[in-house]
Amino acid sequence: MRNHDGLLRRSATTLTGVLLGSLLAWLEFAFLLVGSLGLIPIVAAPRSRERVVRFAHRCARQLAVLEQRRLHRFHRVDDLGPYSDRQAFQYVSRRWPIGALGGLVLLVLTFGLLVAASMISAWIAGGTWSLIEEDGGQVTTATVVVIALPGLLLLYLNVMGIVGVADLDAAIARRYLAPSAEDVLARRVSELTLSRAEVVQVVNDERRRIERDLHDGVQQRLVALGLLLSRARRAKDPVLAADLVRQAHEASERAVADLRDVAWRVYPTVLDHLGLRDVIADVAERSSIPVNLRYDLTERPPTSVETVAYFVIAEAVTNAAKHSGAHTIEIEVGRSSPDGDRILVVVTDDGRGGADPGGRGLGGLAGRVAAVDGTFQVQSPPGGPTVVRVELPCV
Amino acid sequence: MRLILADDTVLLREGMVRLMEEEGHEVIASVGDGQTLIAAVTRFADAGEPPDVVVVDVRMPPTHTDEGLRAALTIRERWPDIGVLVLSQYVEKAYATELITSGQEGFGYLLKDRVMRVEEFVEALDRIGAGGVAFDPDVVRQLLARTTHTDPLSKLTPREREVLALMAEGHTNQGIAGKLFISQSAVEKNVNALLDKLGIAPEPGYSRRSLAIATYLTN
Repeated sequence: MRNHDGLLRRSATTLTGVLLGSLLAWLEFAFLLVGSLGLIPIVAAPRSRERVVRFAHRCARQLAVLEQRRLHRFHRVDDLGPYSDRQAFQYVSRRWPIGALGGLVLLVLTFGLLVAASMISAWIAGGTWSLIEEDGGQVTTATVVVIALPGLLLLYLNVMGIVGVADLDAAIARRYLAPSAEDVLARRVSELTLSRAEVVQVVNDERRRIERDLHDGVQQRLVALGLLLSRARRAKDPVLAADLVRQAHEASERAVADLRDVAWRVYPTVLDHLGLRDVIADVAERSSIPVNLRYDLTERPPTSVETVAYFVIAEAVTNAAKHSGAHTIEIEVGRSSPDGDRILVVVTDDGRGGADPGGRGLGGLAGRVAAVDGTFQVQSPPGGPTVVRVELPCV
Repeated sequence: MRLILADDTVLLREGMVRLMEEEGHEVIASVGDGQTLIAAVTRFADAGEPPDVVVVDVRMPPTHTDEGLRAALTIRERWPDIGVLVLSQYVEKAYATELITSGQEGFGYLLKDRVMRVEEFVEALDRIGAGGVAFDPDVVRQLLARTTHTDPLSKLTPREREVLALMAEGHTNQGIAGKLFISQSAVEKNVNALLDKLGIAPEPGYSRRSLAIATYLTN
């Protein structure tokens, strides 16, 4: 039953796509006609050529974007772009005949369906069939049986035509708008260069943070501790001295706790032997805001992915605790699709939103995620909720 | 003495305040950043009761780089009579050189960790309060190690080198004698000998003398 539904829905979307495509063809055709008027100023003033051409190409891009949206929505074509204005123009100027063809096929379909509908209604109502011939004869069962076979054949051909037009549409779009293998490579290289730069940046930021943690936290505590001990040594009053030593002892415990925290932030070693699940559970326990954790991974992801996932979650939870005023935080860790090899981490809080994705913490996370080739999204409208969504490839 | 402390770590600031009180000094204000420090000094100076010495940490909010140092330089510029003791996390040679060669009196530059050695810290404060100078032994050691005048330095006896280092830190002859467990006259002999070897003209007053040496080392 579900399959049946799916088939119907898919037919409907394809049909809609082809219909819209045929309508867009008119628009494109009109654009080309108007565009050819642009040749007049070029003939008159050859120096304007560059500008007119560029303008035409820019307009073509708008049309190409429309087409791209249509193809994505109705024909599931997702691998288009990025393309230049020039490519868009080439595409638009060659695409309209296909749209027109699509319109033609749809017209034939409509006509066929009308004929069939009127015939069947005449047959059911026992009336005469007056759509084709004015003094049409009776539609008998025999007529229907005789006509049904060629009718179905024509319908089949027509459907094939629609599918063909859709395929052709996708093919020409890919031909002109999809990046070539070279483009894909070039883009990949620039992505990698960028993510490498980000990695370096992330490492530097981390180091700066560690330095600050050590300096502003641990070291100050130790100096204060030394000060207490110094004062205790110099104190003339034994009661005061004993009190100072007691304070110093407490201060030393705090310094050790601080140091442990800093070390944990540098790298949670437990991650190595406990794994992501337990460490996240620990993060959830430490959080000042109640955390609901859903962990759906059956086996442990690779270490690099685990580490990134951990930092994303830890940072998101810390941010929520510090800035959001949220009541609850939801953490979800699972596969992005049942058979996929990508891990999905989503941290949601019901706080006030307005988190800045370019801020220090989140920016650093984006860099970390980019470093392992993942995707990183933050949605945080004013008034919340804030959703940090990360997909990490497990390779 | 009347002091103002500037340090962003509350814990340490409180400890220092208590220590100063135990030493019989009066802490008239303690602040957590450079701007507030300048405001506090201005307030007391305008009321005709400026502090004797201001103790300031180099790294303070908002940027945690050199706010304290800039505040210190501002104070030196606007109220030359107020002693300033700068506490730094590291020996920043560029800073040290800049500060030392500015030839100021009533000025000190110590590593922050010196605070733990209360005797040294308190003594440095006293020297600055009395218009002397106090340079951190580490700063001096670096200056000694990196100075371009290695040749004349190599002519000094080990004892003279010790004395030179203590002089550069800003100690008086009496202080040097106490630190090295020798008589004051022995210190004076060493001082004259080493000034002679380095070709530095004897300066009147201890802080002028140590500045002359520091300047010699930094050039």
